Amino acid sequence: MTANELAQLGASIIAILFIAWLAMLMGLGGDVRIGDEEQARRLANEAVDGFIPVEVGVDRAGMAALLKDVAGRHLLLRRHGNKFVGRLLDSRAHMRLDRNFLTIGTGERLLAPITLDLGQSAQIWASGMRVLA
Amino acid sequence: MTHQLPNAVDYAVPFFILLIVLEMIWAKRRAPEKYEPRDTLTSLAFGVGSTVAGALTGTIIAGFAFWLWDFRIATIPWTWWGFVLCFVVDDFLYYAFHRAAHRVRWFWASHVNHHSSQHYNLSTALRQTWTGFFTLTFLFRLPIVLIGFHPAMLFFVGGLNLIYQFWIHTEVIGRMPRWFEAVMNTPSHHRVHHATNPRYLDRNYAGVFIVWDRMFGTFEREVDDEVIHYGIIKQLGTFNLLWSVFHEWIGIARDVWSAPWRHKLSYIWRVPGWSHDGSRDTSDALRTRWLERQPEP
Repeated sequence: MTANELAQLGASIIAILFIAWLAMLMGLGGDVRIGDEEQARRLANEAVDGFIPVEVGVDRAGMAALLKDVAGRHLLLRRHGNKFVGRLLDSRAHMRLDRNFLTIGTGERLLAPITLDLGQSAQIWASGMRVLA
Repeated sequence: MTHQLPNAVDYAVPFFILLIVLEMIWAKRRAPEKYEPRDTLTSLAFGVGSTVAGALTGTIIAGFAFWLWDFRIATIPWTWWGFVLCFVVDDFLYYAFHRAAHRVRWFWASHVNHHSSQHYNLSTALRQTWTGFFTLTFLFRLPIVLIGFHPAMLFFVGGLNLIYQFWIHTEVIGRMPRWFEAVMNTPSHHRVHHATNPRYLDRNYAGVFIVWDRMFGTFEREVDDEVIHYGIIKQLGTFNLLWSVFHEWIGIARDVWSAPWRHKLSYIWRVPGWSHDGSRDTSDALRTRWLERQPEP
């Protein structure tokens, strides 16, 4: 690379850091949560087209949701930035139950495990998911 | 004769930054959720990395183009109409490249970078690939040189094509006038292209002129009452830059490694989502299933 190109690279890096800082300063993004079961159903269908849940558990903080369809498939919805991503859970998934809290990992290294406050239904979800193991 | 033209993209970058800031101000007032700072940072880092990759490999591509120039079948004159003709032909070849980039996993592994954001704003436009040279996609556009368009002319109009495609990555603009929508690629047409809604998958490959999609049956009009979801079928779920850049290449490597011998190459050249045991979905399968669920008109 020439000196000119290196100078352009330096300027570009400064520019992108400035824009990202500006985006934070302006409060862009917002705090997005799953408000109810209906929203969770809609998000699930967006994540996996045609996924029709028969059971829905929404984390009390609205950060995630767990859904099950008629075929017994479990779908984890979790917040990513101010959007949501969904993953169908398979044998790679792992979970840990602590009273009302169910911690679920998808098995993907870059998708950190997430803890859902599902109230008393956490134990029911946990037992239903043992079949995945 | 020596022809030298400036790199138009270099001059456009300050305007890109200015327009992104203006769009962010719009978002602040009207729709803060249209931006996510970490997503924006990732997109812009993609842009910087892509520029570096381009600087490192551009000389090789230029050298190859000038080598091909010696084998041209004609010489298109260095005139205004030569530039216009070159722009149109180049845009058609861009359509061909772009269609292949969505229909062949080898090319998709590079192009997926541009689609990996769940947001659709001007910063998304800068989410460009780092591995384009490696996939040899530049070969799609070089036939222009064999026809007789000078390489400098090709690189100049290619830059203009890239600049045009910047402004269409926005939700600020609804629809342009009807005549414009009929001929040109617009924010509305390109939102369709970035959508994951089954109705929209693998549609609107155009760069500048939407007429290519209309001619070759890949055009889909944006439906007003359907919310668009952006990104890829299996959303990344991370802002990790290196994973965002290389995830599909890693996916190909894993699939080729684990597939039976007779299927290994298919994981490279077949359509994204293809699998030898049918356990995954291609965009065609997703659209077919979605269509089957729609009520009869």
